[in-house]
Amino acid sequence: MTEGADKVAGEPAKLLEVTGLEVHFPIRRGVVIDRTVGHVRAVDGVDLSVGRGQTFGLVGESGCGKSTLGRAILRLEQPTAGRVVFDGQDVASLKAEPLRRLRRRMQMVFQDPLSSLNPRQSVESLLTEPLRVHGLSAEDLQTYGKDSARAHAAKAAAMLEVVGLPGSSMSRYPHEFSGGQRQRVGIARAIVLNPDLVIADEPVSALDVSVQAQVINLLEDLQKLLGLTYLVIAHDLAVVRHISDTVGVMYLGRLAEVASSDDLYERPLHPYTIALMSAIPIPDPEIEDARERILLPGDLPSPANPPSGCRFHTRCPFRQPTRCHDEEPELREIPDLAAGRQVACHWASEIASGAVGVAEPELLVEPTSS
Amino acid sequence: MSDQTIAAGERAVTRSRTRPEANRDENLLEVEDLSVSFVRRGAQPVRAVDGVSFVVRPGQIVGIVGESGSGKSVTSLAVMGLLPQRGVVASGQIRYRGQDLLTLGAKKLSDLRGREIAMVFQDPMSSLNPVIPIGTQVTEVLLRHFDVSRGEARAEAEHLLRRVGIPDPGRRLKEYPHQLSGGMRQRALIAIALACKPALLICDEPTTALDVTIQAQVLELLKELVNDLDTAMVMITHDLGVVAGLCDFVNVMYAGRVVESAPRHELFAHPRHRYTEGLLASMPRLDHPRTEPLRPIRGTPRDIVSWTKACAFAPRCDHADEACMSPDLELVLDGPGEHRMRCVHPAPLASDVADDD
Repeated sequence: MTEGADKVAGEPAKLLEVTGLEVHFPIRRGVVIDRTVGHVRAVDGVDLSVGRGQTFGLVGESGCGKSTLGRAILRLEQPTAGRVVFDGQDVASLKAEPLRRLRRRMQMVFQDPLSSLNPRQSVESLLTEPLRVHGLSAEDLQTYGKDSARAHAAKAAAMLEVVGLPGSSMSRYPHEFSGGQRQRVGIARAIVLNPDLVIADEPVSALDVSVQAQVINLLEDLQKLLGLTYLVIAHDLAVVRHISDTVGVMYLGRLAEVASSDDLYERPLHPYTIALMSAIPIPDPEIEDARERILLPGDLPSPANPPSGCRFHTRCPFRQPTRCHDEEPELREIPDLAAGRQVACHWASEIASGAVGVAEPELLVEPTSS
Repeated sequence: MSDQTIAAGERAVTRSRTRPEANRDENLLEVEDLSVSFVRRGAQPVRAVDGVSFVVRPGQIVGIVGESGSGKSVTSLAVMGLLPQRGVVASGQIRYRGQDLLTLGAKKLSDLRGREIAMVFQDPMSSLNPVIPIGTQVTEVLLRHFDVSRGEARAEAEHLLRRVGIPDPGRRLKEYPHQLSGGMRQRALIAIALACKPALLICDEPTTALDVTIQAQVLELLKELVNDLDTAMVMITHDLGVVAGLCDFVNVMYAGRVVESAPRHELFAHPRHRYTEGLLASMPRLDHPRTEPLRPIRGTPRDIVSWTKACAFAPRCDHADEACMSPDLELVLDGPGEHRMRCVHPAPLASDVADDD
């Protein structure tokens, strides 16, 4: 692992730098004697960086650790090891009070607004609560004057308008809204403090298809309007591709591939990304009939006991007899193959050139040309 | 368990099967003018399904697409005869091989259910019984419908689990649902549904709770099984992508009514109803340029008017005008391959017009 080696000092464009981040949860057994019998390695050595004003999309299947990673960046989860540098400050080692002050600049949008918004708080109360905790930001103090309840309400009303909800929503409660509107309240709550970084964990997956686009467009508009930096966590690759500049694909606690959104979708390099991409149904029968599918056998292995070597080798359709099972591939750039993107596979070049193909033909679903 | 016992179990099941041979031209299932209302004292009845008609031929895969509240799941429950006994008023006809399921007695219906018509539910964790081993849940349906011994049923159950791709089925039979992963549970549920080799399989969002790679496994499995067993399938989903790759014929539902129905190639090539068109335009797609802006449908699926007053989609439609305010719009035939739609201002055919924006 290159922990510390690639520590980039003084690159001002990066708002968030994560190096060697690990989050392990202990597995405890025993009633009388509480002992730890192992660890779930939810996040196991992740490096990523997000530039100011950029959107980093994190995709992966359930259990790959993407949500834990998001929470660990905000230190809602205590990292086991590694550094999370937000605008020059290491979040992972910050003491309580400086952390609290930093939190106003990093906010989160949760998946299910019905369970993340207190059902007994009105929208006004929900939106002004962060302001009561942190106070108005410096620029808002100039607009709204001093930190008063009235100024808070005015700021909350302004946010409500920004996210496209009517002013009459202020006195209403979460259950009175539809799913899309509720998510708008959740977004308004996240941006009311004028944060720099917003981490959105599955922001649209609980919404109806016809409403998802509204929320995606809103997130994009807000980014332009407020200069936000996003870390968007989702399992839907189409959504992530649409919204992100850079995409990281996670598998079992580690990043398998990081590339610009266009590159990744045009030419996935890691076998997991290739399989993931081929598994997404596309709403066009012509394309569906013509494409080749790679089926991954089995399920995600347990993160408590990840496979040796490459974590993906147990399910990899391109598995090779050497290196894959005993040597962990590093997330590295392959300049001859593709500059500016990283992939954690020993055989990425060979797979891209076609020298290494799918080993087991039954995993390949041929096009159904009828 | 040896291959011999499996074969014996299978033989036993095959022997006791007596089902009328499928006539391929005959419709297997005919749903005609089905309406389902939920009534509550002191409240307006809610009409969840409103005059839905469709047919399923043997071996055909028919898709029903819609968002939450469109009535797609209620339609499937009505076909299975699983609607609550009280507080529900269902009218119209659901004819399975000529028998009307809505008026069929409870005894006859349960002879049919599981044997001839089976269902795969969305969430296997809540549709499998958590305190009964998987094996018992699979053999249960075999013992109910066929004259087989426990041993034979068990051998057949093991064979079924192997068939749906569960490794080490002998051990899995003794395990409980919580010991299986999500994809595995869904496979077990499919094994139960297919235990009696039904002629009709109803799948209600069978892959919605699963990850994409597992979804691909399960869809591939369903496709294969339906092909091998010549089972007809009704696929209920909100995912147009799943429909595009799987279904022969697609019905799009909105607010309880079918708004558009067509063979899948025709539907995706020429979506005519403004709702179908809007859905396709609002989805981020891997096959389109990334910078292409999404055009969302405004409002939410709750912003509807009653079909008896106007087009239910009118409040969310960009093309709505006075003409859309007429009551009970007809589902009219429009285009090749039984393409029908219920719209006053349908989207122009691509050949008729250059891009309208």
